[in-house]
Amino acid sequence: METRLLILNADPVFQDRALSVFDTLEEIEIRIVRSLPEAISVLLEESFDALMVEGEAALALEQATNARQHFPSLGIICVVPPRYGSQINALAEQQKIGLLSSAWSCRRLRRELERFVHSLEMQSSPAAEGVDPCHSLIGNLNQFSAAEILQMSCLSQRSGRFTFKSGRGNSEIYLQHGSVRHAVFGSLEGESAVAEIFRWRQGRFYFEEGIISQVQTVDRPWAHLLIDNLQKLDETLELVSV
Amino acid sequence: MRDKMLETKLRLLTLQLESWKKLHDLITYGLDKAKPIVSAEQERQFTEIRANLLQETAHIFNELGILSELSGKAMNVLQRGVSVRGVRELSNEDVRRLEAEWNAVFTKLGIAQGQLKSRRKHLAGQNVLSYFFERLFRRPAVAQ
Repeated sequence: METRLLILNADPVFQDRALSVFDTLEEIEIRIVRSLPEAISVLLEESFDALMVEGEAALALEQATNARQHFPSLGIICVVPPRYGSQINALAEQQKIGLLSSAWSCRRLRRELERFVHSLEMQSSPAAEGVDPCHSLIGNLNQFSAAEILQMSCLSQRSGRFTFKSGRGNSEIYLQHGSVRHAVFGSLEGESAVAEIFRWRQGRFYFEEGIISQVQTVDRPWAHLLIDNLQKLDETLELVSV
Repeated sequence: MRDKMLETKLRLLTLQLESWKKLHDLITYGLDKAKPIVSAEQERQFTEIRANLLQETAHIFNELGILSELSGKAMNVLQRGVSVRGVRELSNEDVRRLEAEWNAVFTKLGIAQGQLKSRRKHLAGQNVLSYFFERLFRRPAVAQ
């Protein structure tokens, strides 16, 4: 399966140092956008493995940080001119954003980008297909959003496990007496995993009654989670309309 | 096999086509009498796309070897379409010309993109060795 990379670059024709490296890489599909709202809109509609921001250090990192807040599980790197200072370095580290220098030699830049793409390939696990028809609730996220399904289950005080399967991977949400007890998606756990699943618009889900998690990573009531995540989603959509 | 030059051309062409499509969307909106409101945001987008096209068109057409063929038409479109409101106020004759020239540029770019994609597909089925063998033993073109 090809790795899909979204590239945010305001001037992709003339400032194409990293872009030209991707012209030689196999097994990667890239899409180029010129602005952050466009990038957010594309990330909401389609599934990408990572985002690369190319541009001036401060602006690129600001855009990457913004994207990180809306897409916590997304792999993000910035390709920026050298001498960006320790403050930018620290912020990038805090937000788990990789920093590459556009001044590196072609060979080194290529090597680092290849390493990044390779790390994405290692992370991405193909979504397992096939849903057992014996599960008590099965459906498609095109028709019902994750928020609607969870709202319905929490209101009826259900206990069990929701499994969501999409191109981005598999995730699980455990309910106990109508409250979310545990959520996991890749390396994300707890509320950030719930936030991620809220954005999914494609994929399938099923519910298995009675499976309870021993681990508890979410301790807030469902109503609070719902309001917070819907607000976050609104903020993301607002960014698209800017 | 992947040809770097071909991939670069395809990338530039895709960006250029994307901008022409966006420009067309806004021109179409401007010409639609049923939509009387032109927002400041739409005008900003139009200027942004126009600015990108103005600075990138010559470079990309030159890279693709179609500068002499398309540059005049592309510049005519960009000069006539100064803003969404400006497009709305053009005479019928100017609108017809604008659309014809936009179509000429778009058609040529679309065809070029198809040809490059076809070449990429052909190359994907080859390895370096077979590529050079094919070049070596290809029958030379004979002038009539």
